[in-house]
Amino acid sequence: MRIHLQVRPILAALHSHKAAVVLLVLEIALTMAVLGNLVFIVYGNIQRAHVPTGVAESGIGLIQSIGVIGQDNPGTAAGNIAVLRAVPGVADAAYGGPPLWFVQSNPVFVDPSRKQALAKVYEFQGSQGLVSTLGLRVIQGRAPARDELPVAENATKDTEVPVLATQALASRLFADGHALGKVIYDGGSNPMRIVGIVDHLRGGITGRADDDYALVAEFLLGNQNVGGGFMIRAGDPAHLPEVLAAAAAALQKANPGHVQSKLYTMAELRENYFRSDLAAGRMLVAIMLILLVVTALGVSGLASFWVQQRRRQIGMRRALGATRGDILHYFQVENFLIVSAGVLLGALFAYALNLFLMHRFELAHLPAHYLLVGALALWVLGQLAVLGPALRAAAVPPVVATRSV
Amino acid sequence: MGTGTDFINTRVDMFGYYLDLAWRSLRHHQVLAALMVLAIALGIGASVTMLAVLHNLSGNPLPGRSGVLFHPQVDPRPAKLSGADVEPPDDLTYIDAVNLYQLGIAPRRAVMSSNWLPVRADAPDSPLAMYTDRATTADFFAMFGVPFLYGAAWSAQDDASHAQVVVLSRAMNQKLFGGGNSVGRTLVIATKTFRVAGVIDDWNPQPRFYDVNGGAFGKPEQMYLPFFAWLDLPQDYGYGPMNCWGNDPNAGTHDPRVQQCTWAQFWVQLDTPAQAADYRAALVQYSAQQHQLGRFQRDPDVRLRGLLDWLDYKRVIPVTVRMQTWIAFGVLLICLVNTVGLMVAKFLRKSGEIGVRRALGASRRDVFAQCLIEAGVVGLAGGLLGLPLAWLGLWMVRQQPVSFAASAHFDPSMLGVALLLAVLSSLLAGVWPAWRASRVAPALQVKSL
Repeated sequence: MRIHLQVRPILAALHSHKAAVVLLVLEIALTMAVLGNLVFIVYGNIQRAHVPTGVAESGIGLIQSIGVIGQDNPGTAAGNIAVLRAVPGVADAAYGGPPLWFVQSNPVFVDPSRKQALAKVYEFQGSQGLVSTLGLRVIQGRAPARDELPVAENATKDTEVPVLATQALASRLFADGHALGKVIYDGGSNPMRIVGIVDHLRGGITGRADDDYALVAEFLLGNQNVGGGFMIRAGDPAHLPEVLAAAAAALQKANPGHVQSKLYTMAELRENYFRSDLAAGRMLVAIMLILLVVTALGVSGLASFWVQQRRRQIGMRRALGATRGDILHYFQVENFLIVSAGVLLGALFAYALNLFLMHRFELAHLPAHYLLVGALALWVLGQLAVLGPALRAAAVPPVVATRSV
Repeated sequence: MGTGTDFINTRVDMFGYYLDLAWRSLRHHQVLAALMVLAIALGIGASVTMLAVLHNLSGNPLPGRSGVLFHPQVDPRPAKLSGADVEPPDDLTYIDAVNLYQLGIAPRRAVMSSNWLPVRADAPDSPLAMYTDRATTADFFAMFGVPFLYGAAWSAQDDASHAQVVVLSRAMNQKLFGGGNSVGRTLVIATKTFRVAGVIDDWNPQPRFYDVNGGAFGKPEQMYLPFFAWLDLPQDYGYGPMNCWGNDPNAGTHDPRVQQCTWAQFWVQLDTPAQAADYRAALVQYSAQQHQLGRFQRDPDVRLRGLLDWLDYKRVIPVTVRMQTWIAFGVLLICLVNTVGLMVAKFLRKSGEIGVRRALGASRRDVFAQCLIEAGVVGLAGGLLGLPLAWLGLWMVRQQPVSFAASAHFDPSMLGVALLLAVLSSLLAGVWPAWRASRVAPALQVKSL
């Protein structure tokens, strides 16, 4: 009630400080525009960094074991997989790479003439055991059985390859929902038959819909000497680092002609993948803080100026019976009105800035609730910034009214 | 004001007097002054930090040599290619790389690519490790001004004879041979024995203009091999970032000589504009000839960009840096609006004082000048305080795990830029408040005193 009654005199008082009020509103609006967009970018980055790839991430480790052409090496692919599986703590092992690690992305076709690519698809290829090592969840159909896997050494360009497709890819390729059993093609010549659907498998995490378009193919590897990525899945994720180190040592012992370049846990791959995004996010958070501090300085600067300018009037109001609380509220309401005006104008600015950023930096469209976050932040900031000056105003004794300034 | 010097002296005196007034005024309103200075300092700190990063990232990687280095491009793609870029590919196919390399009309030229290879010292039981390499031709070193610690580049004769020689980086020489003069020593690269021809000093032009595939701010490779000997090696470690047209994007993964994949970078040195014109004509002629042979389907479409044009065209500055720079200037703008508001308030408070000065004969111009000088003093103070903030900001950028972190250092030229930016922007912010202050009517104010 009281606050409601105060609004009119406040507006009248503000009217006589038009210039400063307009500038303050403008400053708050600009802050709101930048803040809203920054919150959106930073939160988008953080959210993306937590999107799961769809594999059993906590247990997976990768050993990059590089074959040297022309160098003798006793190890074989099947032998290496057996060596890895024999390491205590290893639940499963396969030849092949995990998500977020140089996964090939290729166009996929549903017609053998390969005229029109329907999607770009992450292709995961590896040895027997790839699906179970990744820990994929097959929700429809089944994983390819061992006896139907194409034997790598005998495969020709016509050999049909059984594959698993993600649900997202299946519905992209076959809108009718009947993807199981269908044959699709990539740039190579082999037809691929979809024998199962997995819920999710993201080769990369960019925020686009085709992140979750993936195919998984197992080939039966035998006596060939292959280098590249070998994956293990630890039975107990808590012991992954030790298990991975032991597995790498065993693999190196079996392959003296290989170079072991690096070991990664899936967690490390994820960290590397998002490193620069998160770094950019930290920079933006620093900029946001600067912005909030500057705006707070502006608000409290002008508020203290007004308090000092109106000391006499405040004293009069106090002498006429206004309580300390009335004076405090007066400045708080005044601040709320100014910030609200700034927030409304700022919403417009925020959309304008968002259009510019969309055009120039391919940023997504700004959802309205980010503006609410910005508005809320500015309301709180405004109230905090005005509290000091308002308390000083409330402390003005009524006797000031009787003194000349 | 009799003579001209008198006039100037008066002006100088007035300037000094206004400075004194500004100083007194700011000291009198310490809180308000401090808020203004702090706001400007924060805005300057943020914007100068990003300006310094941008400045360093868009610098000239080879000052003194960039004017004579050119990047030729031809267009070997099929006539119809859906979704194709209108610009010719950045890199060359194997065939074009060899043909243009043999074209021989440029004073210097270098064809190149990169991958990594297994290497070990030529001693029993020495461990194998992967090292990154740049495969190129002899002119690379002279053309780009690469400094040598020991030995020298290999010769064009070595290129022609597919000689197994290698030039090591300082760091790799340290790792393999303990850092001494290793010229003449041997190492095993992808099972073949190579002889060290030279060791180069630290060399890392930023942006890494000669190969911007995969980012222009990466590290240089650890060793340099003759291009044609490199192609002979028993290897399958990729042949650099490859782009293939047609349905199979991996057509060239195991065979770099396929027709439909581009992957080789090519640079030429052309010392005069006439040479550049001749070379461009030669590229057109080459394309026409390949068209006649049926290899090229498109009409000749060539590019011959100079080094700086090339970097411009490739937009090597990371998009996050460009965006952050825009945002930092947004912050500066907000800081200025903030300063305008505070100055309006501040000058308004001085209305009484200004009224007295006006009543005592100061013109509107005098009042305006005095207020503007006060704004300039605030800006200068903000700039001085902003410098350490920018320095702090750059330190923060350097701590980030980003490829361009090393480029974020404080350039002395940024010192001037920061102060100039601070003073100019605060003067700009001061214009309107000062104009308002100069409109103060003398009589009204004097009456209320």
